[in-house]
Amino acid sequence: MHLEIKNLHKSFGDTEVLHGITFEVESGKALGFLGRNGAGKTTTLRILMNLFNQNKGEILLDGKKFQVNDHQIGYLPEERGLYPKKKVIEQLVYFGELRGLGRKKAMKNADIWMERLGVTEYRNKKLESLSKGNQQKVQLAETFICDPEIVVLDEPFSGLDPVNAQILKDIIREQIDKKKLVIFSSHQMGYIEEFCKDIALIHHGEIVLKGNLKDIKRTYGMNRLTLKDSQRSKEELKEILEARLPSLLKSVEIRKERLILELHGGKEKQEFLQEALNIGLDIEEFSVYEPSLEDIFVEKAGDIA
Amino acid sequence: MKNLWIVLKFEILNFYKNKSFIIASVIICGLLIIGMSIPTIQSTFFSSSDDSTGEETGSDQTYGFINNAEDNVDSETLEMSFMGGELQEFGDREALDNAVANGDVAAGFVVTSPTEYQHVIQNNEMTGSTHFMFEEAFRETYRRTGFESLGIEYETVEGLVHAPIQRDTVVLGTDSAANYLYTYILVFGLYFIIIVYGQLVATSVASEKSNRAMEVLVTSTKTEHLIFGKVFGGAIAGASQMALIIATAMLAYRANSSAWDGQLDFVFDIPLSVLGSFAVFGILGYLFFLFLFGALGALVSRTEDVSTSVTPITIIFVAVFAISVMGMQNTEGMLLKVASFIPFSSFMAMFVRVSMGSVSNMEVAISLGILLATTLFTGWLASKIYRMGTLMYGNPVKVRTVLKMLFNSNDV
Repeated sequence: MHLEIKNLHKSFGDTEVLHGITFEVESGKALGFLGRNGAGKTTTLRILMNLFNQNKGEILLDGKKFQVNDHQIGYLPEERGLYPKKKVIEQLVYFGELRGLGRKKAMKNADIWMERLGVTEYRNKKLESLSKGNQQKVQLAETFICDPEIVVLDEPFSGLDPVNAQILKDIIREQIDKKKLVIFSSHQMGYIEEFCKDIALIHHGEIVLKGNLKDIKRTYGMNRLTLKDSQRSKEELKEILEARLPSLLKSVEIRKERLILELHGGKEKQEFLQEALNIGLDIEEFSVYEPSLEDIFVEKAGDIA
Repeated sequence: MKNLWIVLKFEILNFYKNKSFIIASVIICGLLIIGMSIPTIQSTFFSSSDDSTGEETGSDQTYGFINNAEDNVDSETLEMSFMGGELQEFGDREALDNAVANGDVAAGFVVTSPTEYQHVIQNNEMTGSTHFMFEEAFRETYRRTGFESLGIEYETVEGLVHAPIQRDTVVLGTDSAANYLYTYILVFGLYFIIIVYGQLVATSVASEKSNRAMEVLVTSTKTEHLIFGKVFGGAIAGASQMALIIATAMLAYRANSSAWDGQLDFVFDIPLSVLGSFAVFGILGYLFFLFLFGALGALVSRTEDVSTSVTPITIIFVAVFAISVMGMQNTEGMLLKVASFIPFSSFMAMFVRVSMGSVSNMEVAISLGILLATTLFTGWLASKIYRMGTLMYGNPVKVRTVLKMLFNSNDV
């Protein structure tokens, strides 16, 4: 399946919050939907789920208009919530039935997913008596109960401890392996780097970056190097490089523990290395810079919003 | 359609499993059974007390009198005519006063002329009525003496003056007097059930918003299924509770029928046409209001705000009830006639007119048509408002804003 989101515009009152969101997702490849708080992630996903109407733009599945009700979709909303005063099993079966499962099948799937997520012991407890993390797991069981073909997860990792996050990671990976169409939003880059082939980065209601994560990283790493000197601190090194090699270096930046150098177009790293040795640097570490997603994120969406 | 059934089943079970629903039903039914059994209990345990009833009329009481007008008033006739107990003649005033003071006699009367007497009592009570009985006897003595002095026999006069009249009423239209009680019970039952279940449906919608189950719900099925399932679920739960209460009352009455001796037959003996119109108008009106309550519940995000949100509709509803009940006194009143065509009130007002007044089939059909159309429209509107209110969190939304937004659906 191929899901296309084309030029979505959305206004609340007089304020336009989405200014033409466009991205694509393929079955079997998870899309990481990135953005800072308030960037428009949840609004976009809600439009996708037909909870809001867009003012402009369209959503196509395999070239045809996407009808939410025609597909099995596992949706984990950002606003978590089920019935606090109902027993866990009762509500899981209810939602399973609403999504088209027979009662028996719903009961069976509920048990499978509760087992998988480790909440079987709360089967006949009221939801409100569970801890927040366990409630979140019940909600995840509800999301996957109908074996959805499309999985939309809005911030699925928030509120989970590392052990539970690992369980969820395994589940998401399994969904990807089963060729499901997976979209999940997050601002926790680590998770997205782990299993998303594609990303879309939304910033102030606009997609500022999208595509294959490896390609993006390569593009960002192009012409960039990292350097460490055994004698000098990063600050000293930065000063020296800026003073001595402006013809080679476009910029010199300190990011966390590393010094990142960007070469002018057409300059090669061998050329730089030669010059660096010439000016007497005691090089301890020299490598081609491979940016983390977080670096890219900060660079693209790092302005003070 | 299958999902509508799933939602409906879920919502009905929510009501049936609710402790307060069960407790309220048990208490009401229990009270009815006890109430209906009171005559049986009385006749079983207190049957011997029948002969004590004489006390209440005061026939065992003794009264004293002094006759100071023996020439014109016959003491014997006076004693005979007195119906309030025993009337004793005293010789002198002092003895009478003492007897009254000791409580030997309940009161004393001193006759001074055929039309004048003095009333002697220990304590004057507001509700004291002993002198009325004496006056009656005193007056009769005067009449009897008067007629007899003219040579006319008093019994003849008595027969002429108090000729017994027999009445037999033949009702050609509707017998409002007999219908009053059961109409009142049905109207009140309807009022009660709508106000209670309206609140419950509104709260149930609002709580799905406040516990955020809404977002999962509306992405799992159509909003029409959700609101219709909820309203029908509430309607069925309420109707079945009412049916249970009525059935309990009838069964308890049947079980105690010998003690009741058919005294309440007229309450339970409701004509089919009245029951039919109650069912049709009652159910439509019930659904109409539940849709309104449900839609209003969707406009708030917290259950605490529900009562504020539903206040306007509650006020209208109470007014409708008041108009209908007042209309029961005068089924031809203009207010009731107008009310019987307005969908907000027709379900109750038209039922009152059918049950107690005379109304043409044409009028009933028109009113029913209007009610049916508005109920369907309200159902549609409620599902739109519900859909719209779903993701509006924060301050309660004004109805006017919603209507504006309905015509500009891009805002959602």
